[in-house]
Amino acid sequence: MRKIFHTPKYSLFVPFLFAGLCSNAVFSASEQLGNYSLKLLSSPAPLNSSLSRIVSDELGQIYLSWVSQEGELARLAFSKLTEDEWSSPRVISEGTDWFVNWADFPFLSVNAGNIAAHWLRMSAEGTYDYDIEASFYSVNERSWSEARVLHTDGVSAEHGFVSMLPVDDESTLITWLDGRNTAVGDEYGEMTLRAGIFDAMGKTLKEWELDHRVCECCQTSSAMTAMGPIVVYRDRSVDEIRDISMQRYSDGEWTAPRPIHSDNWRIAGCPVNGPSVSAKEEQVAVAWFTAKDDTPKVQLVLSPDSGDSFSAPILVASGDTNGRVGTTMLDSGEVAVSWIDTSEADTKIMLSLFSSAGELLNNIEVAQTRASRRSGFPIIESVGDTVYVSWTDVSDTPQVKVARVVFGPS
Amino acid sequence: MFQLILAVLLPLSIYGAETEEANWRIVNYWSEWCAPCRIEIPMFNELSEQLSSSNVRIVGVNFDEDPREVTLDIADELGIEFPTLTLEQVEELDLRPPDIMPTTYILSPTNEVAAKLIGMQSKADILGQLMQLGLTVQSN
Repeated sequence: MRKIFHTPKYSLFVPFLFAGLCSNAVFSASEQLGNYSLKLLSSPAPLNSSLSRIVSDELGQIYLSWVSQEGELARLAFSKLTEDEWSSPRVISEGTDWFVNWADFPFLSVNAGNIAAHWLRMSAEGTYDYDIEASFYSVNERSWSEARVLHTDGVSAEHGFVSMLPVDDESTLITWLDGRNTAVGDEYGEMTLRAGIFDAMGKTLKEWELDHRVCECCQTSSAMTAMGPIVVYRDRSVDEIRDISMQRYSDGEWTAPRPIHSDNWRIAGCPVNGPSVSAKEEQVAVAWFTAKDDTPKVQLVLSPDSGDSFSAPILVASGDTNGRVGTTMLDSGEVAVSWIDTSEADTKIMLSLFSSAGELLNNIEVAQTRASRRSGFPIIESVGDTVYVSWTDVSDTPQVKVARVVFGPS
Repeated sequence: MFQLILAVLLPLSIYGAETEEANWRIVNYWSEWCAPCRIEIPMFNELSEQLSSSNVRIVGVNFDEDPREVTLDIADELGIEFPTLTLEQVEELDLRPPDIMPTTYILSPTNEVAAKLIGMQSKADILGQLMQLGLTVQSN
């Protein structure tokens, strides 16, 4: 029987430790840095949930999505946070033939009442091929669209690693890895990066191939700058340099792929560790993982001009990290970066705060976790100067958790 | 037809180890979603067969840490013919999970990491590493 669903065995996992988070907000002093409050919120996600996304809409309302599993049935649901209370979960879609993967998982986008969400469905029995299916809620139609496959190639191949970004009240930029060319010829071909703009009911308005050769299994990320949407991804040169590249959609055209920094990380393999971009007007932040010379690092670059130029890399973590980064930009212009610290047996989800000039302001432990793939990728989002963090607690039966972090003065 | 016959000669116990503890191990991390992993599996199958009477064993690790039953199903579908370790066996190796897939470790009989091979490997890559480790490889 194919593996599509996971009912993980967690007997190896240590008890989850989350000191101080089960009470109300507690202001704590981190090591030689600023104050912060960190509060574990209740979770609307049930047991056997994972693969969370936490996003905000244009009004600053927080939404959480997750995948729950019961036997072979996988279900994508979401909930909205209002004054520390979650709305009753609403199911977007479910199926018994989904491709449920710890690194490649559903995206949720909410803007002006319109919602877009995707999941991955196996496209053929006995293969490793899957399609991106999506459904769209239109506030004007007051209904969800029929599920549709986002890509139109009709090729049985791998499609995934989606990112979504509202571009206006009615449309969403969706970026994904598209394996249509991997299935050409006898050998495994090249993974492409594609993007499209979809209206509120999921109709394709525009579609492009952004890059004809990218890393096969890393997440994409997108953000809105003053100059238009920016997309970041792990590129792949002909000689297997797999550094992070960017493209921006300005004045109706995409800029050519450009590295944000030349790590010169040459690998003939999959890091499964995509970059994360956030933006506020002209300010852009990109965080990413690299491991040149077998030295794992998390780095951050900042741009003051919508991605026309970037700072030299700022080292976020080195040595004891397996990446899995996230980034979000606060109203203050400060940048929060989430990453995994593997320096001790109990792996930690860390949140580092940087000034708009790249100075480290704070560095806190959000939760203890496991380096296991089952713990997935923590996701962060900010509203104002408040950061929300979601992750999967795999200490027992897996369950999505959410915490809220407010940084105090440095 | 050219046939490669391998004999890996170890410094101490030259051939035909009596116990598993005396074996060197080639530990290949794989995942079903990793295309380069799938591509190199037939090579490891072939090499595993060719090394079967030597002191080198090839074992696999499902990077995704699926439950055992699921892991064995996937290994079967991928056509993996060498043993796949249990989660408990993987923990005993005390290896840092790889940052890149595929990754292959060569472990000494005392469980020390003798080589870490990142990315897709060829048979020549593996044999070259064994030779660099002083494990004489004969072929004809």
